[in-house]
Amino acid sequence: MRIAALKTKYNKSVFKLFWLLITVLFLSSCDQKLTGILNPKGIITYEERILLFDSVALMLIVVIPVIIMSFAFIFRYRETHCEGDYKPNWSHSVFLEAFWWGIPCMIIIALGMLTWHYTHKLDPYRKIDGYPVSLQVQVVALPWKWLFIYPEYNIATVNVLKLPVNKQVEFFLTSDNVPMSAFFIPQLGSQIYTMAGMQTKLHLLPNQTGTYRGLDSQYNGDGFSDMHFPVDVVSQKEMEKWVSSVKQESQRLDIVNYTQLRQKSIAHPTTVYAGVDNHLFHNIMHYYMGKGPLKFNSANNE
Amino acid sequence: MLQEILLGNLSLKALPLHEPIIIAAGVFMALALGAVLVGITVLRKWGVIWRDWVCSVDHKKIGIMYIVLAGVMLLRGFSDALLMRSQQAIAAGTSMGYLPPEHYDQIFTAHGVIMIFFVAMPFMVGLMNLTIPLQIGARDVAYPYLNSLSFWMTFVGAMLTNVSLVVGSFAATGWLAYPPLSGIKYSPGVGVDYYIWALQIAGVGTLLGGVNFIATIVKMRCPGMTLMKMPIFVWSVLCASILICLSFPILTVALALLELDRLLGMHFFTQLYGGNMMMYINLIWAWGHPEVYILILPAFGIFSEVVATFSRKLLFGYTTMVYAIAAITFLSFIVWLHHFFTMGAGANVNAFFGIATMIIAIPTGVKVFNWLFTMYRGSIRLDTPMLWVTAFFTTFAIGGMTGVLMALPPVDFHTHNSLFNVAHFHNTIIGGVLFGYFAGFIYWFPKAFGFYLNERLGKYAFGFWVAGFYFAFMPLYVLGLQGVMRRLVHYDNVAYQPYFLVAAFGALLILIGIGFQIFQVIYSVIYREQHRDKSGDAWNGRTFEWSISSPPPVYNFAITPQVKRIDQFWFDKQAKEPTHVHPEKMTYQDIHMPRNTSAGFFVGIFSGIFGFAMVWHMWLIASMGLLGVIATVIMRSFNKNTDYYISAEEVKKTEFAHFKEMFS
Repeated sequence: MRIAALKTKYNKSVFKLFWLLITVLFLSSCDQKLTGILNPKGIITYEERILLFDSVALMLIVVIPVIIMSFAFIFRYRETHCEGDYKPNWSHSVFLEAFWWGIPCMIIIALGMLTWHYTHKLDPYRKIDGYPVSLQVQVVALPWKWLFIYPEYNIATVNVLKLPVNKQVEFFLTSDNVPMSAFFIPQLGSQIYTMAGMQTKLHLLPNQTGTYRGLDSQYNGDGFSDMHFPVDVVSQKEMEKWVSSVKQESQRLDIVNYTQLRQKSIAHPTTVYAGVDNHLFHNIMHYYMGKGPLKFNSANNE
Repeated sequence: MLQEILLGNLSLKALPLHEPIIIAAGVFMALALGAVLVGITVLRKWGVIWRDWVCSVDHKKIGIMYIVLAGVMLLRGFSDALLMRSQQAIAAGTSMGYLPPEHYDQIFTAHGVIMIFFVAMPFMVGLMNLTIPLQIGARDVAYPYLNSLSFWMTFVGAMLTNVSLVVGSFAATGWLAYPPLSGIKYSPGVGVDYYIWALQIAGVGTLLGGVNFIATIVKMRCPGMTLMKMPIFVWSVLCASILICLSFPILTVALALLELDRLLGMHFFTQLYGGNMMMYINLIWAWGHPEVYILILPAFGIFSEVVATFSRKLLFGYTTMVYAIAAITFLSFIVWLHHFFTMGAGANVNAFFGIATMIIAIPTGVKVFNWLFTMYRGSIRLDTPMLWVTAFFTTFAIGGMTGVLMALPPVDFHTHNSLFNVAHFHNTIIGGVLFGYFAGFIYWFPKAFGFYLNERLGKYAFGFWVAGFYFAFMPLYVLGLQGVMRRLVHYDNVAYQPYFLVAAFGALLILIGIGFQIFQVIYSVIYREQHRDKSGDAWNGRTFEWSISSPPPVYNFAITPQVKRIDQFWFDKQAKEPTHVHPEKMTYQDIHMPRNTSAGFFVGIFSGIFGFAMVWHMWLIASMGLLGVIATVIMRSFNKNTDYYISAEEVKKTEFAHFKEMFS
């Protein structure tokens, strides 16, 4: 009886605390100063934040009673209390033990179902349902800078990424001449490793214009802390304006430029290139498959 | 030419003469070491130290040496933590802090390596050594000489890490040295070699220790102690030892392949010529994940002992506890992939490993409920070991929750490699592992030395540690959710700085806590007469270690105890059965004991020479070191004089002295 009474009491406090927590987090997420998953600006991060809060709520069903019980029992049964209820040999109860194998099992079943559903839904390789892929970007991690190639526009940038709002973007990622790195724009979506000789994929869909922070999340040497870049999410019109302005630039990404980019540099300035070899991304990967020196087809550059 | 043969790549350039911080640290270490050596010489203790400690095969002394090693290395690892916290507290916006990246990168690598391999592991093995033979009613571990060897291998590994601070450099790769970063192309210096050889040598020591404890627990239990009547700490150590034996060979192989890549230009883990670094990452975590359970399982065992003793009540749900430990042991081997959900494995793979990880929360949760209900209707004494347990419940519940969160792949896509992750594993390793070991340390200290640690100072230390922990790591959760990564030497968003300042304040509180712990030990040693425990049963204990004198005699049990049920000693006391018969009325037999040996020490020293020489490519000296190891082992195998008998009269004399002291 006593346990049942305690439980309803705990449940009430669970809900109170939970809603308090959610309110605090929600209010704070409206604060523009916050970054990361607490202030989502893309569909993927929104969904991931929902999953984060849901699973915290599920687990608090166990965690809060545990914390309360730990203090309550210690306070209630300390040595100085009346020892009338001291039961030194009481060490087994089928009911209780079944109860606390059962409750965590049920919570984990619920969490497991959530996990299965969301892991498939939010798989970085999976196209986001209901939106066509409107832009592809090839990403190359270089020694402490990021190279972004827009194959459709035949332009490339270093350390700056422009994306159109409300359009699904598909990223293809690899790295060159730098240890394993990871591409991450916290407010827009998931992170994914970039590995030499291999290609990883990521789908993002920003739904608010603004400038966000993109970064390398995998430590990869001395320049790691400076390997970040601004992500400008702009309207489709501005995007097109920007592309045509880049195309006016004189600089192209040719073998000389690229060889320089492969050299180590920390906090490389943002650069744009008006032309790029269409096969560059694949050639970089092929180089690591042992297919000879890095090919650079300059004819394709035109 | 001669220099190349003798010294390999080593030259005066290896000394960091231009780095004032490192020089200061090196000078400090040299002074401390020199003070100890001078002290020993002045007090004329060299003979005692050599005979009674260095050559000792007594599990209790080896246990104490392990714990001293862990304590010293804790200071080193913690000073790394202070450097990092202060750097990150300063280096916001345009400020670059005071540490250059190449130095900072070594510090966080050394911090992780030292804290896991040379603090947590020796602390755990030390407590195991001290306690396991006493709890199962044995005279020593199954292989006493191997035990000494294990200790000296671990010691040498730790010393190699310390030497790298002054001679050359340490790895700047993160504590698991992922290739390609740890490959020869991106890490051409000696740092990664120090890392590899320190861990290889210490790792072999740990593996041998694991073998030793499995053999001890399986073969040396006293009559009547069936598996299901063992104290739960023994169960947890048995499972941890099984994990050691299954996982440490993976570490050895992974590091050996990495060394082959670096030394002989092989391509196991480089991308060119068919190698693949993803293989290393899988291998290292196939060891690394069981490793964290190797650390936490004995801590769970300690909590079980402490909770039952200080609640003066049988441990609740003993059988479920055992099954929970066994389930965790098994599950810990099928979850390693959750350390790299972001590598691009498919959704099915990620979901499988995510759910497998969450399942571990079930047996762990069951254990927590069992502890809670051990306290329920008990009679709880809040001495310092129990205080650490009370802090453990809340801290570990939070750490467990954030762990399950990170097991959700889509959440991990945000928290992976972020400060959220750092906060999570410190939350479990400090709040679970370290709090447990501290509880065990205070709990078994009177058993090892015959006097208590000062309670008041222990409470101060506890308060500062716990408060410091929450200040240091709660802000990191918030930062991690905001997308702040780990291992940043500086950051440009000044909005993060207040969080880092709070974290640095927390580290200072922990520093005060550690200060109190050191003071506690010194104070208790000086005033040991006031803290004396003459009964041998310091806490009204339940298991056999409390049935003998403190410190125990070298042979542990004059007469091997008999077991009819769990907590036999406790029930004997309850039944008012005489637990201590007057020695005059007893007949004792001669006791067969292992003789001390210096072989373990020399194998350790020679493997240290070998490791150091391999780091610097001194092939001649390396082969001499290896030969030394082999020669010592062969010489030892021809030594027939490895045991002796303690006569029955001497046993009677020792027991009589204890009896007189008890009732004085």
